[in-house]
Amino acid sequence: MGRPPVISTAGLTKHYGTVHALTDLTVDVGAGVTGLVGANGAGKSTLIKILLGLLEPTGGNASVLGHDIEHEGQEIRRLVGYMPEHDCLPPDVSASDFVVHMARMSGLGASAARERAADVLRHVGLDEERYRPMGGYSTGMKQRAKLAQALAHDPRLVFLDEPTNGLDPAARTDMLRLVERIGSEFGIAVLVTSHLLGELEQVSDHVIVLDGGHLLRSSATGEFTQHTGGLLVEVVGTETERDRLGEALAQRGLTCRPRGAMVAVDPPPPDLAEGAAVHDLIRDVAADLGLGLMRLQPDRRHLEDVFLEGGTRA
Amino acid sequence: MPDLSAPGPGRSGVIHDLGYRHFDGVREGSGAIARTLFTTGLRHAYGLGRSGKSKVMPFLLLAMSLLPATIVVGVVVLTGLADLPVSYADYTNQTQLLVSLFAAAQAPVLFSRDLRHRSIVLYLARPLSSHVFALVRWLSLTVAILLFTAIPTTVLYAGAMLAGLDKSDQTTDLLKALVLQVLLAMLVAGVSGLISSISLRRGFAVVGSVMALIVLTGIVTVVQNIAWYEADSETVPVAVGLLSPWSLVNGLANSWDAGVDTVVPVDGAWVPAYAIIAVLLVAGCLLGLVARFQKVGSR
Repeated sequence: MGRPPVISTAGLTKHYGTVHALTDLTVDVGAGVTGLVGANGAGKSTLIKILLGLLEPTGGNASVLGHDIEHEGQEIRRLVGYMPEHDCLPPDVSASDFVVHMARMSGLGASAARERAADVLRHVGLDEERYRPMGGYSTGMKQRAKLAQALAHDPRLVFLDEPTNGLDPAARTDMLRLVERIGSEFGIAVLVTSHLLGELEQVSDHVIVLDGGHLLRSSATGEFTQHTGGLLVEVVGTETERDRLGEALAQRGLTCRPRGAMVAVDPPPPDLAEGAAVHDLIRDVAADLGLGLMRLQPDRRHLEDVFLEGGTRA
Repeated sequence: MPDLSAPGPGRSGVIHDLGYRHFDGVREGSGAIARTLFTTGLRHAYGLGRSGKSKVMPFLLLAMSLLPATIVVGVVVLTGLADLPVSYADYTNQTQLLVSLFAAAQAPVLFSRDLRHRSIVLYLARPLSSHVFALVRWLSLTVAILLFTAIPTTVLYAGAMLAGLDKSDQTTDLLKALVLQVLLAMLVAGVSGLISSISLRRGFAVVGSVMALIVLTGIVTVVQNIAWYEADSETVPVAVGLLSPWSLVNGLANSWDAGVDTVVPVDGAWVPAYAIIAVLLVAGCLLGLVARFQKVGSR
């Protein structure tokens, strides 16, 4: 888009003795939310630590917000926020006091730090409990406090390392929505890691897949989950109705298979691919069978599929 | 001011969601951040800005080390003694148990907590480097210990002035004592800080510092006395004095005529030896602290 990348790495390599945490990583990260996906030990945390200037790479170089990691680590750390994966909160301090202190450690004055801490804690959704010692917090509250300290100084980029770790499904959804807001509404670039592909699919504009320290793929989320040409159909009723529809569609020359409560229709043969011919056919078949159509949507690939494909390729 | 969002009937006000606001104010440089870290550390060493419970220990110890000074002042002022019964430097030496306990109890606050709870990661993801962080923490503890020793000394001096003792003599002695206290604070903060940064459990850290500051000094004193009174040796007591922070400072105080008695006078070539060992010990502790925090930061 013509704008300089937020993060740019070239041949970045980190070896610990015989362990190869990162190998020849060359990738650009732009504005918005970028997901960094990989299994545990794929090199996600190592990459973040190198970008923060806390670890020295074995080879290659990188720049963050236009600053070189080797020489301008301090300048980078002034402009970025970091939410580590593991617990890092002192139990005997309140979230309010802690976030104020952390904002001051990033160079905000006393009154600015207090104001920002109050703002940020409100945004992450810590209310009255912000005045209680953090030792008594639930995992969800701890994750929010960790996120608040990362945002306290209004960074231009935040590294969020596994922010949904240990959260229940509702809290996970909340956290993901927050991550999305940080990237869009707050206007802060986000690099968020996860070992769960599905959740990053929901919030990321761009996804980078790491596998064993190697770059597997880097592209816009849309490209990952592009339309396969297939369709998903769901009808009112149970599996019996689903199977009746599937069999009837198969007789009309479509390749179908059950997927959950739905029928997945493979990309249609050329004679049906024109315009909305397949859609009309499915509608008519359902009407003939007297089945109520509930859903008819394009079948998109999921990040998992890409990851599996890539994994076998590599 | 025209209120465009006038509160509806029956409501006293409207809460506006201002959305996310960016910060475009001034960001301080590393020097100012380091100063903030120093002040916070100094306050925390006395339990200020922490829970009420954490203030008990430092202030109790401070009160205990002030008590003899106030009694001495009372006696001197009321009875009109011609001199203080204890020199400034020796007062610190006599209260060394309290000073050592203060350091042992408060060093973990500055050196163990961040490492144990891993909040060090959050500090190191910010502008200050691990080196600066370690040195600023040490400086906070050094000044905390210096205040702990200097406050009773200053009370004594005030008493001496009230009693009308010779001002120039007293001031010279006081300044000597303060210089020695600075060295002592640097040594004790280095030793207890390094121990606390390695043994992250508070209990172990306290015990470790007590061993290094109190038990070791006790052993040194016993060995010095045995060597002097039983073996009639002059070299051994002076040489053994190099082994503990307290005996180092007391040896230097003795050679400087600051009013501290040692088993055997420290003089001649021993004086530079004491000074060099003291400086090396401080430097060694600082290098150890810097290395320790750098290692933790890269994990």
